Amino acid sequence: MHYIFKYAKKYKKDFSIAIIFLVLEALVDLILPTMMSFIIDNGVKNNDLNYVLKLSFYMLIITLLGASFAVIRNVKSSIVSQSIGKDLREDLYVKINRLSASKISSLTEASLITRLTNDVNQIQNFAHGLMRVFVKAPLLGIGSVVMALALDRTIGLISLLIVPIVMIAIILNLKLSYPIFLKIQKSLDKVNSRLKEYLSGIRVVKAFNRYDYERQRFESVNNDLKSVSISGMRRLAIFSPLVTLLVNLGIVIILWVGSDLVVNNDFEVGKIVAVLNYMTQLLFSLVMSTRIINMYIRSKASSDRLDEVFNAEETLKSPEKPLKIEKDEILLEFKNVYFKYFESTNYVLEDINFKLKPNTTLAIIGTTGSGKSTIVNLILRFFDPNSGEIKFYGKNIKDLDLKKYREKIAVVPQKNLLFTGTILDNLRWGNESASFEEIVNCAKIAMADDFIKTFKDGYDTYLGQGGVNLSGGQKQRLSIARALVKNPELLILDDATSSVDLITERKIKEKLKNNLSTTTILIAQRITSVMDAENIIVLDNGKIEAIGTHDYLLDHSEIYKYIYISQLGEEVANFGA
Amino acid sequence: MEHNTKKMTGIHGPHSIIPVEKPKDSSSTLKRLFFYFREEKNKILIAFILVILSTFLTLLVPYFTGKIVDALTVSKENINLVEVRKLILFVLTFYVLSSLFMFMQEFLIAGISQRVVYKIRKDVFDKFQKMPVIFFDRTTHGELMSRVTNDIDNINNTISQTMIQFMQTLISTIGTVIIMFYINKIMTLITLATVPIVLLVTKTIANNTKKYFKTQQQFLGSLNGHIEESISGIDVVRMFNKEDDMILKFKKYNDDLKEVGVKAQIWSGFIMPIMNAIGNLTFVIIVLSGSLLVLNNAITIGVVTSFIFYSKQFQKPINELASTFNQLQSGIAGAERVFEILDEEDEREDEPDAIEARDIKGKVEFKHVYFNYSENKEVLKDVSFMVEAGTNVALVGPTGAGKTTIVNLLTNFYEVTRGEILIDDVNIKKYKKNSLRNMFGVVLQDTYLFSGTIKENIRYGKLDATDEEIILACQISNADEFIKRLPDGYNTYIAEGGSNLSQGQRQLLAIARAVLKDPSILILDEATSNVDTRTELKIQEAMINLMKNRTTFIIAHRLSTIRDADVIMMIEDGKIIEKGTHEELIKLKGAYFNLYMSQYLNTAE
Repeated sequence: MHYIFKYAKKYKKDFSIAIIFLVLEALVDLILPTMMSFIIDNGVKNNDLNYVLKLSFYMLIITLLGASFAVIRNVKSSIVSQSIGKDLREDLYVKINRLSASKISSLTEASLITRLTNDVNQIQNFAHGLMRVFVKAPLLGIGSVVMALALDRTIGLISLLIVPIVMIAIILNLKLSYPIFLKIQKSLDKVNSRLKEYLSGIRVVKAFNRYDYERQRFESVNNDLKSVSISGMRRLAIFSPLVTLLVNLGIVIILWVGSDLVVNNDFEVGKIVAVLNYMTQLLFSLVMSTRIINMYIRSKASSDRLDEVFNAEETLKSPEKPLKIEKDEILLEFKNVYFKYFESTNYVLEDINFKLKPNTTLAIIGTTGSGKSTIVNLILRFFDPNSGEIKFYGKNIKDLDLKKYREKIAVVPQKNLLFTGTILDNLRWGNESASFEEIVNCAKIAMADDFIKTFKDGYDTYLGQGGVNLSGGQKQRLSIARALVKNPELLILDDATSSVDLITERKIKEKLKNNLSTTTILIAQRITSVMDAENIIVLDNGKIEAIGTHDYLLDHSEIYKYIYISQLGEEVANFGA
Repeated sequence: MEHNTKKMTGIHGPHSIIPVEKPKDSSSTLKRLFFYFREEKNKILIAFILVILSTFLTLLVPYFTGKIVDALTVSKENINLVEVRKLILFVLTFYVLSSLFMFMQEFLIAGISQRVVYKIRKDVFDKFQKMPVIFFDRTTHGELMSRVTNDIDNINNTISQTMIQFMQTLISTIGTVIIMFYINKIMTLITLATVPIVLLVTKTIANNTKKYFKTQQQFLGSLNGHIEESISGIDVVRMFNKEDDMILKFKKYNDDLKEVGVKAQIWSGFIMPIMNAIGNLTFVIIVLSGSLLVLNNAITIGVVTSFIFYSKQFQKPINELASTFNQLQSGIAGAERVFEILDEEDEREDEPDAIEARDIKGKVEFKHVYFNYSENKEVLKDVSFMVEAGTNVALVGPTGAGKTTIVNLLTNFYEVTRGEILIDDVNIKKYKKNSLRNMFGVVLQDTYLFSGTIKENIRYGKLDATDEEIILACQISNADEFIKRLPDGYNTYIAEGGSNLSQGQRQLLAIARAVLKDPSILILDEATSNVDTRTELKIQEAMINLMKNRTTFIIAHRLSTIRDADVIMMIEDGKIIEKGTHEELIKLKGAYFNLYMSQYLNTAE
C-alpha cells in the first residue's frame, strides 16, 4: 500500500485529524453503553426521575459530541482519500505522457484509461475504508483479547489462539483471490478496448453491416468479464463466513472447556458469559477487518497495475545537460541512419543520408510503407535510430533539450487529428500567445479562412472529437494552419494535402512560397507536389534510391520517372519534360 | 464527411448527453433496474430464504447459550454435563449452518449481480448498434466508455453490497416491530416516534448523495473523454509540445472530480452518525416516557427495560436500512446515466412493408435531394442525377462541397431532409436498412482496422470467406505484396487502431476488404489518397475488372483516378454544376477544365 502512505504524508494534517477524531468517536462509543446501563440500573429501576433526567441530558450532549466527531472524521477522511486519488491519477497521467510511443502501444491505450480511472478508484476506496476502521477494529480486537486473558488465562488463551488461525485464513485469501482480481482488471481492459475500437470504427461497422459480428465480439469480452468477476466475488464470499465460523468455533470450545472447568475447578459461570461477550466483540472487529481486507486485495491488484506504468522506463528523455541550439549552415542531417521498430523485424530504414540547408525544401516520395513517415518519427525523436546520427544544426538531437528542439519543428501529420474545442483553440496549439490576426493570417495561407468564415460561429465553431464534423480536406487545412501558427524553423508536411483538391493545393503552395521562408520537408504521393523542391529523395523499401532535383531524377531514377508518367500520363509528361 | 455546418444541432451540445443537472425520479429508475432482475427471481427467492434461515439461526444462538449458562448456574452436583454438551453441539451446528447459509447467499448474489450488469452492458452495446452515426460524432468516445464501464460498475457494487443487507435488515425490522407490539402498544408507538425523523433525514441525505454521485459520474465521464482523446492523439500532442497543456486540462477535470467526489463521500458518510444520534434520542425518549408511565403505574419496570432492549434491537436495522438506502443512491446515479443512453433516439426503423434488397443492379437516382445538418445551413441543395447500373461515377469538387454527404445519404448513414433517393427505381426508405447496406462496399478515408490478424480484418468483408478468397482479394487490391513481406504474413497481428501499419497499407487492407465483399455498389471515398501512385495504378488495373458491371462512386482528387470514369460530376457548394465525361467537361472549359488545367499548369511550370 505504498501509494496510500506516500500520498497520505502530503495530507498529514488532515489525516491526523481524521485519526484523532476516529479515536474520540471510539471513546464515545465506549462511554455511551455504560451511561445507558447507569440510567437503567440506577435511574429506571429505582424510579429516580431526576437521575434519569440528569443523565439523559448528559447522554444527549455526549451523543451530540460523538456525532460531531464522526462528521468531522468523515469530512476529513473523505478529503484525504479523494485527494490521494486525485494526486495518484495526476501523477499517473503525467507519467503516461512521458512514456515512449512503443511503451504506450504495448500497454494499450484502453488499458491506460482503465488504470487511470478504475484502478485508481479501487485504491481510493481502500484508503477511505482504511480510515474508517483504521483504529477502531484493531483496538476493539486487541481490547477484547486482553480483557479475556485478564479474566482467565486458560479461556483467554483460546481466544488468543483464534487470532493466528484467522491470520492464516486471511493470507490464504490473499493468495487465492489476488490473481483473480488481477484478471478482473484485465478483462475490464478488454471491454474498454473493444468499446474504443468499436466507437472509432462505427462507420465501417455500419457500412459493412457487421452488427452480429460486432455483437459477438463484444459478447465474448463481456462474458469474460462476467465469469471472472463472479469467480472473484465467490472467492471473497468464502472469507467472511469462514472468519465468522472460526471465531464461533472458539466460542464453542470456550463453552466446552468452560463447562468442564465449572464442574471440576469451581470456575465461575459469570466469567464464561463475560468471555462470550468479548468474543462477540472480537468477531465484530474481525468481520469489520475482513471487509477492509477484501478491499485491500482489489486495490493490491490495481496498485500492481499502476506499478507497471510507474516503473516503465521513460525512454527518450532530455539529456541532463542539453546543448544549446545555435543556427548553423546545415539545419538537419541524417548520417548513416538505420532503424527498425522491433528487434525481430527487418530494418524499416537503412543507411539514410541527407543534408538539409536552411530555407530550402526537401521532398520525399516513395511507395506505401517505404519508410517516409518513419523518417518524420525519427526527426521528432519519437524513436531513436538503432545506429547512425540525426543532427540539428550540427548537434546530435539526443544532446538537445527535447522540448526546445520540438519547439523549432512543426508537423502536419498524415492523420489530421484535431481535438475537442473550438477551431481557434485548435489553431492556438501552434502558439498559445499568437494574436487573432496572426492566426487568421495563417488560416488564410492554409486556405482555411474561407471555409471557416462560412460557419455560423466562425473561428469559435466547436469541433467534436477528432474534428469529426469536418471533411478530410477541411481537417487537413486546419492542420496546416495549426503548424503555421507555430512559425517553425522546420516545417514537415507529411502527405499534408492528400485530401485537398488540386486547385486548393496549388493555392496553398503558392501562398506558402510567398509568405514564408521556412525550411520544409515535404512528403507526398502526388508528383506535382514534390517537383518544385530543391532536393527530392526517392525512397524505396527503406533505402534512398536516388536523390536530386526533378530534372536530375527524371534522367537518373527509374522509379521517379515511372511515378511521373503514371500520374500525369504520357502527354503531360512529354509536355512537362 | 463533409458537413459544412459546425454548429451542433440543438438536440445535444458537444458534451451532448450530459443533461443539465436535474433530479430525476429515483423510483422509475429503480423500477427499470428491477426489470433486469426478472430472470433472476428464482435465485433471489432462494437467497431470500437463506437470509431468513440464517437470521433465524443467529437469533437461536443466544437462546441456546442462555440455556447452557442456566444449566451451569445450578449447584455443582446437579450439573448434567451430558445435557450441557448436547446443547453445545446444537450451538456448533447452528454456527456451521449459518456460516454455510451466509456463504451460499454471497455465492448467489455474486452470480445475480454479475449477470444483471452483464445484461445491462449488453443492452447498451446493442443500443450503440441502433443509434445513428451522428450521435457518435457528437459525444467523445471516452465519455461513452465511461458509461459502459464506470457507471455500470457502480450499479454492480450497489447490487452486490446492498442486496443481502437490505433483506436482512428488512426481516429484522419487521420481526422486532411485531414483537414490540406484542409486548406493549403504547411503548411501541413511542419507540416508533422518531421514525418520521429518520425518514426525513434519510431522504434529505439520500437526495444530496445521489445528486453528487451523479455529478461525480459526469465528471468522471468528462475526465475519461479527455484521457481517451489525449492518449490516442499523444503523437500530435508531442509534436506541438502540448504535454503541459494537456496535463493542465487534465488537472482541471481531475480537480473538479475531486471536489464533487469529496462532497459525494461526505454526504454518504453523514447517515451513520446522524442515525446513531437519533437512536440515542429514541433511547432517552423511551427512558423518560417509560419512567413517567411507571410513576403513573401504567406499566411495570420490567416492560420498560425490555423495551429499552428492543428499541436498541430495532435501531440497528433501521440504521442499516437508512445506510443501505443511501448506498443505493450511487447505483441509481449510475443507472440513470446508463438509461440515458438507452433512451437516446434510434436510427429510423424499417418501414413495415420494407423489402429485402437482393440482387441490386445498381441504378441510382437522386431526385431533388436537399440535406442540412442544422436549420441554417444547407449542405446539399436540389441535387438530381441518374446513373444506370454499372456506371463509374467520379465526384469532384472542392473540399466541403458535399461529395461525402452524397455518399453518406446513399448508404443511409444520414437521412435526406427533402427529396428522394432511388436505387433500382425504389426509394431507399422502402428497403430494409441492413439488407441495403449489404449491397454496398465502402472504402473510407479513415480506415478502421481492429486488433486481430490481417486475415481477420479482411474477412470482415465476408465472414464466411475461405483463405483462398481472402488471398485473391488481396491480390486484386495489391495488398498481397506487402502482406507477404511481413514476418507473419496474413497472420500478422494488427495492434489497436492498426498503428503498426502505414496509412497507405491500411488503405490497401480496407480496399481488399471491400473487394472481398463483392458488392453491387462500390464507394471509394478518397480511398487511395495515401497510397502511392504506383500502387494505386496497380489497384486501378485490377479495379477495372471489379468495377465492370458495377456501379461505382469514386471521390478523389488525383486526376489519374478521375479521368477514366464514365461520368464525372463536379460538385460545388452543394450543387452539381457540371456533369459529363472527361472529354466533354474539358471541352466545356468550365470548373472541371480549370481544375484539370491547374494540375497541367503545375507541371508546365
